[in-house]
Amino acid sequence: MLLRYVFFRVLMLIPVSISISVVIFAIVHLLPGDPVDNLLRVGSSPADRAALVAKYGLDQPLVVQYVRWVLAMFQGDFGEAIVLRRPVADLIRDNLPYSLRLGAAAFAFSSIVGIALGTVSATTRNAVVEQFVRGFILLGSTVPGFWLALLLILAFAVQLQWFPVSGAKGWDALVLPVLTIGFGGVALVARVTRVALMDARREDFVTLLHAKGLPANTILFRHLMPHAMLPVVTILALRIGWILGGAVTVEFVFGRPGLGSLLIRALGQRDYPVVQGCLLMLALAVMLGTLIGDVAQAAMDPRVREAKT
Amino acid sequence: MRHQTMTKLLSGTALVAALTAFVASSAFAQEAVIAFDAGELGATSYDPVTSSNLNTATSMIYDRLVEQDADQSFHPHLANSWEEASDGMSWTFKLHEGVTFHDGTAFDAQTVADWIPDYADTENAFLTAAIESVEVIDPLTVKFVMNRPEPNLLYNLGSAFMGIPSQAAVEEMGADYGVAGAVGTGPFKLERFDIGLETVLVRNDDHAWASDLSENQGVAHFERLTFREIPDQSTAFLELKTGGVDVLLGIPTDFIEVLKAEPNVTVIQMPGTGISYMPINVTAAPFDDIRVREATGLAIDQEAIVASIYKGVGAPAHNFLISSLPEATVDPALNVTHDPERAGALLDEAGWTMGDDGVRMKDGAPLEVKLFTQNGSEFTVLTQVVQAQLAAIGMKADITVFDSSTIRDEYKENRHQLAVRAYDWNNSDILDWFFSGERLGYPNVSMWNDPEGEQLNKVAMEGSANSEERIANFTAYHEYILSQHLMVPIYQPTTNLAFNADRVSVPDPVRGTRFRSQTVLDMKPAE
Repeated sequence: MLLRYVFFRVLMLIPVSISISVVIFAIVHLLPGDPVDNLLRVGSSPADRAALVAKYGLDQPLVVQYVRWVLAMFQGDFGEAIVLRRPVADLIRDNLPYSLRLGAAAFAFSSIVGIALGTVSATTRNAVVEQFVRGFILLGSTVPGFWLALLLILAFAVQLQWFPVSGAKGWDALVLPVLTIGFGGVALVARVTRVALMDARREDFVTLLHAKGLPANTILFRHLMPHAMLPVVTILALRIGWILGGAVTVEFVFGRPGLGSLLIRALGQRDYPVVQGCLLMLALAVMLGTLIGDVAQAAMDPRVREAKT
Repeated sequence: MRHQTMTKLLSGTALVAALTAFVASSAFAQEAVIAFDAGELGATSYDPVTSSNLNTATSMIYDRLVEQDADQSFHPHLANSWEEASDGMSWTFKLHEGVTFHDGTAFDAQTVADWIPDYADTENAFLTAAIESVEVIDPLTVKFVMNRPEPNLLYNLGSAFMGIPSQAAVEEMGADYGVAGAVGTGPFKLERFDIGLETVLVRNDDHAWASDLSENQGVAHFERLTFREIPDQSTAFLELKTGGVDVLLGIPTDFIEVLKAEPNVTVIQMPGTGISYMPINVTAAPFDDIRVREATGLAIDQEAIVASIYKGVGAPAHNFLISSLPEATVDPALNVTHDPERAGALLDEAGWTMGDDGVRMKDGAPLEVKLFTQNGSEFTVLTQVVQAQLAAIGMKADITVFDSSTIRDEYKENRHQLAVRAYDWNNSDILDWFFSGERLGYPNVSMWNDPEGEQLNKVAMEGSANSEERIANFTAYHEYILSQHLMVPIYQPTTNLAFNADRVSVPDPVRGTRFRSQTVLDMKPAE
């Protein structure tokens, strides 16, 4: 039953990918400006310009350019960056590990700390702790990453000198960027966990468990948590894609390479093949994240599989 | 006796230990970390022949035949001397003896003959377009046979794009050359290149062919250089402050005061290589009237801008070229200077009379124009001051801010009137780039296409047999452009760098047109 559901969901990815590729291609090419101007230097003639436009096929109708791009991709060829002058696949390969490392660490940090904080705030009877956690959740959802990053640098890199100001070498360079990205994630996960747990506590079966005389901790970890985790897993899965490309400002402030920085640089220079490649990667990550979330939900909750197949 | 030997041995051990400690600490001091100028981030290759974007580290890996100094004079480097034929149709270079590449292969006349043809069919082909062929006269003499005189040849040969790579390495690495490795004759060898993050260079201990722009003619004082890419200026500043970076290149003018306040930081200001200016679209009314264009130029107070926005750093620009170029010396009457009274008189004459609200009117229409600029505080602040100065002569300018790619489309579509922009180029051929009738819209933002201008352009670009003629021809072209009031020159910024004086010392003034290998050779660990 579950296998059939997974197969169906994977099959759905094909039409979704095709429509996404059309949208990405159209948006990128409809932007004003073009990459060739960024290649010209003082002394290039209008003939040089025309030659470059022809060389990169930019004089062809958009449909032809789109079909060429998609056909090449089926052969594993993401094309050649126009301004950055390297195969797009190489550029992504060079930048992806930085994004994955940062994304994975931030994901783990926000999941673990977020669930823990949410659980504490939903179960504690201590008003001070609860107020603190609620305040933290509010702060984490509203503080801009750019500002938080500078604040963390000033405190932990300039004053205390525990971590380097910027860079991407060694685990210690990862700490402040992870805290910056993770802060918002922790708040989000904590909020969802808190609400889910409080809702679950009101269910009839919990009253029954209490009546049976089960200890509170057993009820929380054996019965409440699995029940409350459904929305949390959905939120976490959706964040997989976001965390890969959403780190642009953090990458900028900490001077880290990554998919986000690559995308922004390429976008500024209208380096079409790079922008398309990056967006496609990010779209893929979001789709996989959603897929993982849905499958996890289906595995955890039989009602989901039955409703959707 | 035995006891004595033992003591000697022990003291010897202590000495060795002390020496080791000394060597270790000095080895530590022999590393320097340099942060790139934010404007040169994102280079993806160290191949000078095929790249369209090269960074400062490139000049450490490769040497060039000639070097250009800040006063625009040319100095020998891998070429000891050169001679241009009287008709300009050939150049003969005598090469430095005993130069070897990092891979051990020899640099000689054959290297040059093999290297020049590599530029054909690349985006850098224009650098060698005037060279018909290269002849090897003897192992240390090479002759360029020209298809037309090119007085600009030395300028091209001194460019970062004409660093000379090892032909053996280029052949061996093929398409990976510049990414997987890069081999030149320069004072540093490429050890590691993490694209977008950092480049690590190690000293070339064989380097003994520095140009006379360096005092140090031997190997570099530093054993290792790390060039880092830090896009955010605030982060780069904090790295300098905390010792994560020793030298910071390309500091924006508004950061200078903050940096000078730091006790361990020293700032060096070099003459800049560019100009901020306001092109005027001559095809868009009311600027099709030359009197309105001239009045617009007279409204701008360059001296006040340097004093107020840039706190006296840099210099006012009164014509289109940086002042170290000989072609910047024009008839003083053609220089654009502040004169609001004359601006008012010209506008009156053109029929634009002052209205009650301070905006001039003609035939019931107000003197209201579009003023475009790019995003980034270096543009927006200046544009707001320009707007205020235009208001003082009764011209209402409405500012629109675009990103750098979108604004080019606006120019090409001829939707602009005035714009605030900047260029960075230390050669008078920039006049051809921005004013040739072949490139209307962009880069010819002024949309100027004039038969006499085209004629003067052609003579300047292709009709000069030697450098004196070229200077005279470009000066004439420059003067004609100024007489037509196609743009308003505003500001000549300085190029600034800062270093941590507790860790390194950088010679001031910096020799050369920008911070390159000649300065790094003279850079020392702080004492």
